[in-house]
Amino acid sequence: MDGALRRDEDEMEKLGPLRGGASETWPPVRGDYHIRDPARAVAVMTLASRLIVDGSAICGPCVTENLGIEKIVANVISNSMIRFVLVCGQESRGHLPGDAILALHRGGVDDQGRIVGARGAIPYIQNLPREAVARFQRQVELVDRIGLEDRDSIERLIEELEERAVPFPESPFYVVSRRASRRPPSGGEGDVIFGRGVCLDSMAWLTQSEA
Amino acid sequence: MFRFSKDQQVMNIGGVRIGGQPGEYPTALAGTIFYHGQAMVKDPEKGIFDRRFAEDLIRRQSELSDETGNPAIVHIFARSIEAFSRYLDFVEACWDGPIIADSSEAETRAGIVELLSEIGYADLAIYNSLGAATTPAEAEALLNGDLDSAILLAYNPVRSDPEGSLDLLENGGGIKDKGLIPFAREAGLINLLIDPGVVPLGSGAGRALRFTVMAKARLGLPVGSGMHNAVSSWHWLKGRERTARHCCDAASAALQQLAGGDYLLYGPIERAETVFPVAAMADIMVAEAVRNLDVVSTEDHPIHRLV
Repeated sequence: MDGALRRDEDEMEKLGPLRGGASETWPPVRGDYHIRDPARAVAVMTLASRLIVDGSAICGPCVTENLGIEKIVANVISNSMIRFVLVCGQESRGHLPGDAILALHRGGVDDQGRIVGARGAIPYIQNLPREAVARFQRQVELVDRIGLEDRDSIERLIEELEERAVPFPESPFYVVSRRASRRPPSGGEGDVIFGRGVCLDSMAWLTQSEA
Repeated sequence: MFRFSKDQQVMNIGGVRIGGQPGEYPTALAGTIFYHGQAMVKDPEKGIFDRRFAEDLIRRQSELSDETGNPAIVHIFARSIEAFSRYLDFVEACWDGPIIADSSEAETRAGIVELLSEIGYADLAIYNSLGAATTPAEAEALLNGDLDSAILLAYNPVRSDPEGSLDLLENGGGIKDKGLIPFAREAGLINLLIDPGVVPLGSGAGRALRFTVMAKARLGLPVGSGMHNAVSSWHWLKGRERTARHCCDAASAALQQLAGGDYLLYGPIERAETVFPVAAMADIMVAEAVRNLDVVSTEDHPIHRLV
């Protein structure tokens, strides 16, 4: 997920809803997770705990309060069947991704992309458009069970949530990597450009900065 | 390879010199001990661990350093002040070189600064790290403490490209009132080591390599990273065999060196066995590449020991 993410209308039109809200290529963003049944209503975020639970749409750990959260949001909103994000397992110390996703859902982000009210080290959302965050807030309910690691209890909870779930009445929302800028980076006098005035004169093998 | 037109500063931390032109000084290698999940740590809160096992790890890193010429640093990761204090007591007895003091908890990091200043260990310790996540309490501790050395983590969460990282270092990048470098100077930190902050492979890990060149060219300060983090978070690789994982880990170290890196946070200290030979090899290659660019490798460089 390098670079900013944006809503991909082409992708939405091309794929359309399959399997009750998710496309065959769901989830769109790769990560450290296990796909269970994409037609189910619960996504399980196990924080720093390694747990595989049945009955969910997707489950996996998340140990960072920025990039990890972005991936979860991108994958959840691209499947309209998902209506709950169950946050469980042991919190990742210092980073506090569980706290971050709860805060994101509660208060969104400020003008700089900082998750409002999050207490982790660097809780910033940089690669998602604001409409993706808004969609996340509308589509799912967050269930805070931070600290819960018992698999049976988690699976029972998933079933309870499943019983009261109905699909989100909007198409899947896709966010994908933005194409790289075609604007050449600023260079200096050399012939190999790194950007910001830093260049390499390849004849002399000399790297220099114009600043 | 290449050399920089800007003078490259060399930091002397407890006798270990870090920085200079590519090929000039051997890459300093820091292995992490007492990290989260390390089996020999029995109680991370109190700092209870298998002392014999820990001693073997530190000794082995030291032996590899003596053999290759790549200076070693012991990177101590602690969950609490109590644990750090125990770890340091132990490390002091079996290691006389520099350490990196680290924790994922800001409160612990602030306490570590106070502890190191009180016991007179400030000249041998490198604070990890000053960055976007630094809290006011941490900043206060650094301003009041005696530490000489710190890693400046240039990861800018608002703008994660190399330019954004440079902004964070120089002027705060829109998220700090002051740039990390001016703040570090104000806090009396003399030895500044720059770290771009490595994100997972697929999320922009490669940017750290370009940033390394840019930061050295613009600032003349030593740059290094925990490039192995890009590899350890690579989901595809997790399903491969152990040898493949270790090869990728060690190769990531060499990539950082080829971009001009001066030091490496190479990850678990157990990996010293594979990382030191790879790093020494990369150092030799770089030294050979810059031979006719008026760069002279120091006497302790692997090129004078291993070939």
